[in-house]
Amino acid sequence: MKQSPSSRSRRTKPARPKRRWLGWLVKLGLVGLVILAGFAIYLDAVVQEKFSGKRWTVPAKVYARPLEVFSGLKLSQADFLRELEALGYRRTERLEGPGGFSVAGSAVELQTRGFQFYESVESSQHIRVRFANDRVASMSRPGGGELAVVRLEPLLIGGIYPAHQEDRILIKIDEVPPLLVDALVAVEDREYFQHFGVSPKSIARALWVNVSAGGLRQGGSTLTQQLVKNFFLTNERTLSRKAVEAMMAVLLELHYDKWEILEAYLNEVFLGQDGQRAIHGFGLASQYYFGQPLAELKAHQVALLVGMVKGPTFYNPRRQPERALARRNLVLDLMVEQGSLDAAQATRAKQQPLGITPRGRLADTSFPAFLDLVKRQLREDYQEQDLTEEGLRIFTSFDPLLQLKAEEALAETLQRLGNRKGVDEIEAAMVVANPETGELQALIGGRQPRFAGYNRALDAVRPIGSLVKPAVYLAALERPSQYTLTSLIEDEPFSVTARDGQVWQPQNYDRKSHGTVYLYQGLVNSYNLSTARLGLDIGVENVLRTLQRLGVTRQWPAYPSMLLGAGALTPMEVTGMYQTLANGGFNTPLRAIRSVLGGSGEPLKRYPFEIQQRFDPGAIYLIQNAMQRTMREGTGRSVYNQLPTTLSLAGKTGTSNDSRDSWFAGFSQDLLSVVWLGRDDNGATPLTGASGGMQVWARFMAKADPMPLETPVPDNIVLAWVNAYTGEGSAEHCPDAVQMPYIRGSEPRPGASCGIPPAESVMDWVRGWLN
Amino acid sequence: MQRCDVNRCLVALAALLILAGCASNPPGAVPVKDNGASIRQEQEWMGAEPLGRQPGTPAPGMTPAPEPDAEVLVMVPPDADMPLQTGPGAVAFPGGSSGSAIVAAPPSQPPSGIPQGGRLAPDEELEGPVLALLTSARQMQSSGDLNGAASNLERAQRIAPREPQVLFRLAELRLAQDAPAQAEQLARRALTYATGRPALQASLWELIAQARERQGDPAGAAQARQRARVSS
Repeated sequence: MKQSPSSRSRRTKPARPKRRWLGWLVKLGLVGLVILAGFAIYLDAVVQEKFSGKRWTVPAKVYARPLEVFSGLKLSQADFLRELEALGYRRTERLEGPGGFSVAGSAVELQTRGFQFYESVESSQHIRVRFANDRVASMSRPGGGELAVVRLEPLLIGGIYPAHQEDRILIKIDEVPPLLVDALVAVEDREYFQHFGVSPKSIARALWVNVSAGGLRQGGSTLTQQLVKNFFLTNERTLSRKAVEAMMAVLLELHYDKWEILEAYLNEVFLGQDGQRAIHGFGLASQYYFGQPLAELKAHQVALLVGMVKGPTFYNPRRQPERALARRNLVLDLMVEQGSLDAAQATRAKQQPLGITPRGRLADTSFPAFLDLVKRQLREDYQEQDLTEEGLRIFTSFDPLLQLKAEEALAETLQRLGNRKGVDEIEAAMVVANPETGELQALIGGRQPRFAGYNRALDAVRPIGSLVKPAVYLAALERPSQYTLTSLIEDEPFSVTARDGQVWQPQNYDRKSHGTVYLYQGLVNSYNLSTARLGLDIGVENVLRTLQRLGVTRQWPAYPSMLLGAGALTPMEVTGMYQTLANGGFNTPLRAIRSVLGGSGEPLKRYPFEIQQRFDPGAIYLIQNAMQRTMREGTGRSVYNQLPTTLSLAGKTGTSNDSRDSWFAGFSQDLLSVVWLGRDDNGATPLTGASGGMQVWARFMAKADPMPLETPVPDNIVLAWVNAYTGEGSAEHCPDAVQMPYIRGSEPRPGASCGIPPAESVMDWVRGWLN
Repeated sequence: MQRCDVNRCLVALAALLILAGCASNPPGAVPVKDNGASIRQEQEWMGAEPLGRQPGTPAPGMTPAPEPDAEVLVMVPPDADMPLQTGPGAVAFPGGSSGSAIVAAPPSQPPSGIPQGGRLAPDEELEGPVLALLTSARQMQSSGDLNGAASNLERAQRIAPREPQVLFRLAELRLAQDAPAQAEQLARRALTYATGRPALQASLWELIAQARERQGDPAGAAQARQRARVSS
């Protein structure tokens, strides 16, 4: 435009004679009309451009693993109900639709919600799950046959928000309960389906109210105007803005139908503030306040959300429950008035409590350590903008049940240790993974697992102490011609002088020496002298190479002190190292993300299971045997104060100098966990690996009910009878004869039979050992 | 838009009058265009878009790996079109006549493949969830959705991590996805669980041989074939 409207009007001067005055007015009116038309065209372009494109950016959503239910699954009924509760299922006497369940003794009947996963859509199903002995005993369709496997929908554990922290779950108009539309129209804009964007009737009424009240009491805004205000305009309250708003509302209605505008309104409206995060739209609000999808809401819930539109902070049901309740009931009355509810329904709805879930359930802050890990992995593959705007769906291996058990184990153990001096200042980190798949299932980054901050599981690089020892012994056991579990080694003081003249003189934790011991005893009792001697005999370089093959990527200098764990790792790196030990010598990169779906449900990326064989299964079998003895007879034996003795486990304690770091790393067949306790300022603690980290670990294992470790016997392993005191070959039924595994050819020559029953073949031994 | 109510028509009329007063569009203004229809179309398209197959589509000229010669060890009936849910007697009780009284009785033993106290599943036909997932993976693979198939196989692996037949199928799939090194590693992992199952061992060694050929290691392939012959 060549001339702005204001400069034009300023230059026009009032006319003197009456006739000329009239002429000027007509001309002026025409000019004004042209300007107005131009402005309308401009506004129209604005309206259409913003409304026809991508209307909102949607932050990526991060999901936990879905619970896969099948007959035989190891899952207690209590854990199953915990999962249902976390997913916002409602317990009712009779099933009323998706998201509901009922319990009758050891059976749970439920209707799943259905969900789109990476490879397929899981439809909503009505199922009956029966439990026995902490397992799923059967799963069937009521009145139908057995079901093979059913996936529940995954728990949403967080999102990846842009700087302005606007969050929403987009909904389509056909997912919206009709009652919500009725209520919204009844409360906010009764003429919505009749007016053309602005409602002269409401404006007149508002004017009347305001004039008679002598001030601004009521706005005549239609839903369309409210949408325009939120969507296109700033928050200023002037008459000119009001006029623009009205024009845009009319233009919007010209181009789009009522339902489309309503859908946009339902997704745009602001309904609360969760810390830094703004809750937009009814889809997210339903999850945020009730933990349920919008489609499942009942009249009293719908009324509450609709009531909150007027003032989400003023009517915040968590902060102002009484105010919110009054507002909700008022909305219910209005719904009766408009005929969308009958009086009886409204009375029943009014008797309902607000039904708000505890605060922060769906908040970004629930599992900050795991989410931090997911974000770091995603940032390697995606632009920040893709993560905060494209509505990606990220499927992870996070197991909320294991996470809660890990958190409880940590809290309870720290409380139990609390009377020791210095425990207050202790920080913690914990990693839980499945050793066979390499999937990370739980992560604790600090003593207060709900608070985001320094993620010690990923970032605290601390000396690993005796956790390094399995690598020393593995390096030895890979040379069966030189070393077996029953090789004799010296546990005596010694010193080595480095090239620079420094003297290294290791010591045992108890400051004693233990003379000649079996090789496995050095590991089982975590003797420093025999381990260091053994490591020096093999060569520090060779031990470091073994560590690298186990998955440690840090480059350490080949100092003798490395043999006793002077090298520092993060808890996550330790987990990677022990994963290889736990998984038969097959290394698997630890993964937190399974797959990613795009904003409209298209598969984007998968993070597949990958493995690499790094060690001979025979050598791993031997080191696992020694690590199991650590738990039975060595430094780890106190775990069996908390765990049944039938449970075979393997593990290793770790304590750095002056007890600055208290570590434990260990595994069952299906669970690998690493715990670190220590101070952020690297000060001394009152805890060893056994009295600190291992106690947390054992408590966690007791809650998680893991599968006992039972590695299949590799082809090159034989079991031989040896004399427990001499280590020489013996035979079954001989005095002091014990069975030990050896790599074929390295076993001691069998001793003379002690006569009683006839000698059995090796295969029978193997079988006997397996049973 | 069919029924033009009074309000809407009045506004439209007013707008028309205003526009009629303009000789031409003011410079810089965007001409009015009705975009309503395109939005609707876009939304419908978004809603109805089928699960894309792009990531899983095999590269041109690359055919899915040949089906293994079924016999004993291939657990899934090759023509299976079973859904994930088992009908009465269909999958949970292979061979059982459907609707028979057996169905009502819950299985006294959990399905094979699912670890029970760490013991390995005996060499027998798979059933229950593992069979269902392997079946569905095979369907996806034959329709060209290799990623979807892999995803289902990994679900089966989570349920039965020590079942060598699951690892075997994963190895086959990796070969089809042109990842022979991973195929070999998975087959080797499967071998550590296949003790006492010579037919399965032979198939795994044969698969390793193919994987080595694809990696340009004919000598290694020959060695693996030798093992395959010894095993079978």
